[in-house]
Amino acid sequence: MKKISLLFSLIVVLALTVQTITAQTSGYKPGDVATDFKLKNVDGKFVSLADYKKAKGFIVVFTCNHCPYAIAYEDRIIALDKKYAPLGYPVIAINPNDPAAQPKDSYEAMQVRAKEKSFTFPYLFDDGQKIYPQYGATKTPHVFVLNKENGKNLVRYIGAIDNNYADANDVSERYVEAAVDALLAGKPIAQNATAAIGCSIKSKK
Amino acid sequence: MKQFLIPLVVCIMLTAGGTSYGQVLKAVNYDELKSVVEKNDDVLYVVNFWATWCLPCVAELPGFMEVNAQFGSNPKFKMILVSLDHVKGLETTVKSFLTKKQITADVYLLNDNKRMNVWIPAIDPGWSGAIPATVFYKNGRKLYFIEDQINKSTLEQLINQYL
Repeated sequence: MKKISLLFSLIVVLALTVQTITAQTSGYKPGDVATDFKLKNVDGKFVSLADYKKAKGFIVVFTCNHCPYAIAYEDRIIALDKKYAPLGYPVIAINPNDPAAQPKDSYEAMQVRAKEKSFTFPYLFDDGQKIYPQYGATKTPHVFVLNKENGKNLVRYIGAIDNNYADANDVSERYVEAAVDALLAGKPIAQNATAAIGCSIKSKK
Repeated sequence: MKQFLIPLVVCIMLTAGGTSYGQVLKAVNYDELKSVVEKNDDVLYVVNFWATWCLPCVAELPGFMEVNAQFGSNPKFKMILVSLDHVKGLETTVKSFLTKKQITADVYLLNDNKRMNVWIPAIDPGWSGAIPATVFYKNGRKLYFIEDQINKSTLEQLINQYL
């Protein structure tokens, strides 16, 4: 009898538990220290965060060529760099996709796209897909705002650029701008994480 | 009263018939979607978030359709596809995709872009927003969530587990 009731309670416990399997099993949370990297830019040179001696922080954007959501945000990513690079927060774009799984995101295709759109920021290739899992990026676009504090790059915001991928003219919340503005003003960031639909990062399985 | 009641009943029957035999394809907001999948009716709702442009989503759909054909006659089972395509493409891109790929499940296009940061965490707090993602509901309760592709045999196993 005891066994049966034990089994029954076990079943009840199991029945009440929602099984949740998410892609983001690890990765950064706001407040974590972000790793530096040395990744190849579209101009053939390697870029690290440490190269930016004068930067106050970074707007790291995992993005790519093929994803409709990433494409929809291209002009807004350029605008972010134009606005915030002079204020000390340049954009660093990283393509996390494996070209073996998505040929449109090859290094050569990145070079073409960067030229077409006259990217003002580095567009780096996460060759071997070593960096995006450390950050915990799961999709494109996926933004990590970093702030330099005591020589370390601390993650201060994770998520979307704004609240309307489809129409830049109908945006009512500019999450990344609000986060960087707060950092510039030395104020706490009101919303340090947001969720938005994006294209899952492609790996050859 | 009766003269109003009869046409009303006929109307309801026709609507019900329409939804059970004809495929639903319509744009909804999150609250409308919630009322479709979170019902107190003992039915297991398998809800898949996808888009026509999403390669891994498109790759897993044939498996979902096979499973839907297999369990479709079970009144306690219902598969719902939630498209995250742009609403502009509902009658064009999405509709032609459904015909071409012989998609048999009901499709709701979730047109609620500005509230993504509300409905994504409401569906699952751990969901970063990458698709495909699949959620199981029964009697208004979430039983299972996955932010990844599911193959046919895993999907079958999960349905048998929760049905």
